[in-house]
Amino acid sequence: MTLSYILTILVSGLKLGAIYAIVAIGYSIVYGILRLINFAHGDIMTVGIYIILVLMNRAGLPIYVSILASVAISVFVGLLIERLAYRPLRDATEETTLISSLAVSALLQNILLLCFGAQRQPFMLPGFLTQGHTIGSVNFTNINIITFIITAIFLVALFLLLSKTKIGIAMRACSENMKAARLMGISVNKVVMVAFAIGSGMAVIAGFLLAGEYKTVYPSLGFVPGLKAFCAAVIGGIGSLGGAVAGAFIIGVTEILFAGLMPTSYTAYRDAFVFLLMVVVLLFRPNGLFGSTKGERS
Amino acid sequence: MKKIATLLLALAMVFALAACGAGGGNGGTDDASAAPTEEANGGGAAVTGDVIKIGGIFNVTGDQSSIDAPAQKAFALAVDEINANGGINGRKVEAVFYDGQTDTAVCASDAKKLIDNDGVIAIGGLSDSDYAYAAGAVAQEAGIPIVFSGATTPDIPDVVGNCAFMTAFGDDVCAHAAAEYLYNEMGARTVYVLTDTSMSYTSNLSAYFVERFKELGGEVTLEDHFSSGDYDFSAQIQRYLATGETDAMFMSTGPDDASTVIEQYRSAGATAPMISGDGWDADLWGVAGDLANKDVYVCTHYSTGDTSETVQHFIAAYTEKYGIAPENAFAALGYDCAQILFKAIEACGDDITAENIRTNIEAINGLVCTTGTISYTADNHVPDKTVVVTQSVDGALKFITNI
Repeated sequence: MTLSYILTILVSGLKLGAIYAIVAIGYSIVYGILRLINFAHGDIMTVGIYIILVLMNRAGLPIYVSILASVAISVFVGLLIERLAYRPLRDATEETTLISSLAVSALLQNILLLCFGAQRQPFMLPGFLTQGHTIGSVNFTNINIITFIITAIFLVALFLLLSKTKIGIAMRACSENMKAARLMGISVNKVVMVAFAIGSGMAVIAGFLLAGEYKTVYPSLGFVPGLKAFCAAVIGGIGSLGGAVAGAFIIGVTEILFAGLMPTSYTAYRDAFVFLLMVVVLLFRPNGLFGSTKGERS
Repeated sequence: MKKIATLLLALAMVFALAACGAGGGNGGTDDASAAPTEEANGGGAAVTGDVIKIGGIFNVTGDQSSIDAPAQKAFALAVDEINANGGINGRKVEAVFYDGQTDTAVCASDAKKLIDNDGVIAIGGLSDSDYAYAAGAVAQEAGIPIVFSGATTPDIPDVVGNCAFMTAFGDDVCAHAAAEYLYNEMGARTVYVLTDTSMSYTSNLSAYFVERFKELGGEVTLEDHFSSGDYDFSAQIQRYLATGETDAMFMSTGPDDASTVIEQYRSAGATAPMISGDGWDADLWGVAGDLANKDVYVCTHYSTGDTSETVQHFIAAYTEKYGIAPENAFAALGYDCAQILFKAIEACGDDITAENIRTNIEAINGLVCTTGTISYTADNHVPDKTVVVTQSVDGALKFITNI
């Protein structure tokens, strides 16, 4: 168990963590405001990947155009889902919307199954994105670097949005107390729509990086990363964007360390370990590592 | 407003439950076709008219579709061919196909539907053991012979009963052949073994391989695991590279993970030859591209390069009917599965009963098929066939040797 081995798997963990982080940011913007556990987030991501695949590989559009078009379409899909599945339940309990989001998740996965089949499809990116670099025993590709940069950009952009703009302040108000925000003349529907639009758009970028890193897409691809992003947001603390990113890196690194250091007969149970980790964190810090201690939204 | 919504929801749930019931295969809702089921039970099923009805269960949707869909197409081709030649002893063959949806519960209910509603006299299909157990139990209870096209766990006939037969060799034979090829032909003395623990097929394959490779005198340097659906193999790869490259790698995964595994291991710099069982007789090149052509070996059921008349006729007929060559060996197995049924039904003469078909399958001796020569006895429902070792070259599996 040499130092260079630990270093290599640590880097593998950071690479995985970066993918989770980018999913988790989009996740927590919706989760932080609506307190809506949106299990369909990962599936909106998958929808976005398939749209890119169709536009790029089948229609032959350039990669940038495909991504932008996919973001636009997925934002529309996200808004549609919000309008049909979540808005009618705005005043219902958190459990009701949670179940509604599971239904949306199953629906999206099955639509993708109908349209594209269960077969895994290759998702190939232009060569310059997958070009590899080696420093010592550590390997990484351009797409790994891009993932880190985009995670940082998203984090800063959302921080500025939430602290400096009118809509951002309205979002935070809704996050604190939706009823009071409504009484103050904030259009809750508008705020929720903006949150969903941002979340869905970011999901597509995250999906693009995820599918690009693993070079494949299939209808259930986004579901587990969506769950892990949820874990990251919970570990980091509800409503804390920085916490979600930190939680994502914690999950990515511990997952890989678990798979790389435990006896090999346990490596197949890494997902179970991640979920166990979440339970343990919640036992000691019920509001997550960086969450506010104010507890339930009033 | 809320009350109406609650009512609607309750109604929707009732309908959903009703739909589940129908899907469960009790035949409760298909009133017309459910009637003539009595005599189809208890092994007393018999063909009286001039049409012989046989059933086919294939997972044409879901994870298994890449191997089951070609198998069903080949099975249907065999039915077309026998009917074009006048049927069996003057009777036409009608095949009823149901989709198992890569779901053990659906496979079991498909078997029940075929037997109770459609009154089939025998069943063929399924390329994976987990689904074979599920459908087999139902067929066994009804006394209907069931021939599995691609399932390879050698204990299937023992677990299911005397109505179950396999078209393919057992996993033990396949894994032993891989071990022998690596040790004797390639001179490999150390191996790395990667196993998908989520399927009994892959777990068994690895266990048989390790057993034989150690028996021969080789050393298993490192055994690692994953669970199908994991798309990140970096931890396993780094551990393998840190332990040191071995003479060869035995990769026990299902068809879906094959290309991803190759891509990630090769991209990360693992260069040792890779070998796997028939699960890798699939699309190895989709994700991995040219990396899949670098020292990748597959132990499978047949090779398209086989020049025998049986194999060449099958490839030509399949290509003519479907516009593409057989996608993988599971197509050939589906074709052979149908031939086994036809041979046994033919031997029944005019007395076609489920029990007669079963005993006539046991009596099959030296039936020349695309995947080898098939013989059964009353005690052995797993054919003893040779394993074909192939290598991935330029996007196709090329024949190397028989073991």
